[in-house]
Amino acid sequence: MRLVSKPLLLALFAICSLSAQNKELLYDFYEIPQALMLNPGVKTSQNWHVGVPVLSGLSVQAATSGVTVNDLFADDGIDFTTKVQERLLDVMTRKDDFSSTSQIEGFTVGFRGKNRPDDYYSFGMYGETDIIAYWPKDLAILAFEGNGGANIGRSFDLGDLNVRGEMINVFHFGINRKMGNSLTIGARAKLYSSIFQFQSIKNSGSFVTTQGQDNIYVSTINADLQLQTAGVKGFYDIVEDDTSSSRRSDVKRLFTERVLLGGNLGLGFDAGFSYELNPQTTITASVLDVGFIYNSKDVWNYTLNGTANTEGVTVYLPEDINDLDNDLWQELIDDIEEDLPHGEDTSGYISFRPVKAYGSLRYDFGEGGNPIVDNCGCGVNAGGGSNRNYYRNSVGGQLFMMKRPRGIQAALTGFYQRRFGKTLALKTTYTVDKYSWTNIGAGLNLQAGPINFYVLADNLLSYANIADSHYVSLQFGFNIISWNDN
Amino acid sequence: MKRSLQFTFLVLACLFFTASCMEEQDFDQIDDLSITPTLATSLFYFESDEQTINDSSALRTFYSQTFDFEAFNESYVAERLLEGTITYEMENTTSKNLQLTIEFLDEAGNVLDAELFQIEANAVEPLVREVFYGPGGRSLALLTTTSQLRVTASNLSDATSVSSNPEPKIKLRSAAEFLFQLK
Repeated sequence: MRLVSKPLLLALFAICSLSAQNKELLYDFYEIPQALMLNPGVKTSQNWHVGVPVLSGLSVQAATSGVTVNDLFADDGIDFTTKVQERLLDVMTRKDDFSSTSQIEGFTVGFRGKNRPDDYYSFGMYGETDIIAYWPKDLAILAFEGNGGANIGRSFDLGDLNVRGEMINVFHFGINRKMGNSLTIGARAKLYSSIFQFQSIKNSGSFVTTQGQDNIYVSTINADLQLQTAGVKGFYDIVEDDTSSSRRSDVKRLFTERVLLGGNLGLGFDAGFSYELNPQTTITASVLDVGFIYNSKDVWNYTLNGTANTEGVTVYLPEDINDLDNDLWQELIDDIEEDLPHGEDTSGYISFRPVKAYGSLRYDFGEGGNPIVDNCGCGVNAGGGSNRNYYRNSVGGQLFMMKRPRGIQAALTGFYQRRFGKTLALKTTYTVDKYSWTNIGAGLNLQAGPINFYVLADNLLSYANIADSHYVSLQFGFNIISWNDN
Repeated sequence: MKRSLQFTFLVLACLFFTASCMEEQDFDQIDDLSITPTLATSLFYFESDEQTINDSSALRTFYSQTFDFEAFNESYVAERLLEGTITYEMENTTSKNLQLTIEFLDEAGNVLDAELFQIEANAVEPLVREVFYGPGGRSLALLTTTSQLRVTASNLSDATSVSSNPEPKIKLRSAAEFLFQLK
């Protein structure tokens, strides 16, 4: 074993695997302001908060439901091609995916309304990159084994090609309102500024070679394939321009323009609530990123659509007796291209954000006397001059669901949270999802005066050999929080 | 306060950077990856009815044509071809003894290779021939430099007889199954 730096490791993992966007540690961890981003209706106790620019919220997640880096690249003396065959081709299915998500918060600010202390307003900006690629099983087998030999008669599913990715910048504004001592609701409006987006998610078709009607084989391809991209070509053209001496600055300029609403735009919203069934039991739920982006600028799409079959060059007499030109091969190629037209276009398209939903049930116990603040000045609670009881411990369960190109991806989490006075809170989770059945995570929130620091890490058991992990997640950030009444 | 924050961060950073380990990984292994698919495709199909043969004179060629055939000399294919087999199947239900020749020509029209098939009239069994290219067989260069095929079909019998078989025809089928080194 050797020690490696985390950034390098994460970078490698992100390169080798491409989303698990579940942030089960942060969800309902209401001592952390960023919990508002996962549930706009989360309990809020602070008077105001300001995130340290760029450092208030960083998260990187990378996941693979199939093969791990270690499965392939461990220095174990096994022939690499054998490993690819046995650990990738023979095992992975079209439902397996490689995914990665990263978020970086540019800035975030929250404050309680002076005239409406029941309301907590928050706004900010964050960038997000999200890529998911499903394992193209049949296409991989076609590439590795071919259509010959034992694969004669096998139909290769072209619909296995399924990939989606985007980089966006999000401007948001949210309102969190206490509706009483039991209910808090919230909503957040989002304006998406797309940097780039690509998707190839509605593919279908097949390729099969079977015994021919006349000749030995007939190869048939039936394809309805589409790749849609927006914002990609602009960067590609800059990078490809060999004559440009200002490539780096051109990329920066284009990136900045796209970040600041100069690219394709979209709208979305989040909504959520927290409801105390009784002083010790709380249910919460939220739905995030219900929205879309209209991609009309810098669009480049590629389509392949049609049905073609071939039995090679054919000559039938007497029909072709006078067809004595030299172009039989070219005619064959032309016929296939005519039957299987491919093309490029610049038609705009709508891409939907991956909608996420959370739900949780929390039971608090171990009354601890003073709450996190004596008086947060938070409206309904403050109005009475008293906060709700403060409990040292919380235990509960969470459900996460996310819309993915191939259906709903779900995760179930059990958690325990412990608060140590006003300064420290710890949370540990056990999560089951398609990536891992052994995902134990831990999070820490530290409040040192007005300074707030949190760090959350998932799948800790995999840290013994992180290259063998199916899932890696790390979040951390700094905030300045005022718990005082004014 | 500041010192305690720094200390906390330092401890966390140390924990984070040192608690994770990774077994020795060798990313250079990817250079050893070998991708060698077997690709199968039909190549050429020839079919003629008996009447067409009779319409030409006896003991003469009733069809001959040279045409471009770029399947093997495309640089992507030629550079990755390892070995393979071309399979020919010939059926003859006509009343003629027939000869069919396929010649592989280079760009200048020189004959690189040829396959000659002679099949007797009303052949019960199809004539099947498999030609292996690659180590121990014919040179792959014969294929990778082929840019044209010349097909010649000749009648070795009379031009009047008529087979009693339903729809008497001569058929030549051919297909290739080749191993490629994609990586």
